[in-house]
Amino acid sequence: MKNHVKVARVKTDLTQQQLADLVGITRQTVSLIEKGKYNPSLKLCLQICYALNSTLDELFWMDEEDFT
Amino acid sequence: MRKITDERLVLRNLKHIKIAYIVQTIGIIFILGFEFFQSGFEGMRDNPLWLVFILTGVVNAYLSMSLSVEHEQIRNPRKSLAMSVLVLAAVAAGTAYLTSNTPNLEGTEGLLLGIILFICGLVPLVYVYRLRVKQQQDAEDE
Repeated sequence: MKNHVKVARVKTDLTQQQLADLVGITRQTVSLIEKGKYNPSLKLCLQICYALNSTLDELFWMDEEDFT
Repeated sequence: MRKITDERLVLRNLKHIKIAYIVQTIGIIFILGFEFFQSGFEGMRDNPLWLVFILTGVVNAYLSMSLSVEHEQIRNPRKSLAMSVLVLAAVAAGTAYLTSNTPNLEGTEGLLLGIILFICGLVPLVYVYRLRVKQQQDAEDE
């Protein structure tokens, strides 16, 4: 599923490894989340939001048409 | 060695454990099957792998019971338990009677078999009953 994690991460000037270290996951998982190939749990979504100073809406919300 | 905290890797690890369990179980079944063809049922039961197989089966059955309870919709767990205990008692009594009337077997052996059958059957029934009661309480708390 698509998301805006990469855009927010670049705005915050963090590398994938730095974001991974902040959140407690691997760089590969960050990459997969950004590509939309892995769907994180709600807990992990929130942790990413806190690390990037964003909200769930800004990073992970999508319209119903895009969801299906 | 660091503990894995990445949820994706934790899930992948669980999938790997599942695959390893399936391979192990297939291996155990093959070995027991070979033992059965070589030495018959008694020979197969003498193999310690038989105990491992039975123990794993029992653990798997109890874990599956907790899934089944969440899947079903029993309105009256107490009534369901009473019916199940009645059926179990009938089966245990019938088995005890038939065993007692078997030649070369004494009445006490039949009685003992019936009691063991009843107790072994009662444990999972009580376990399922407690799971259903807990699930009902959780539903009432909402």
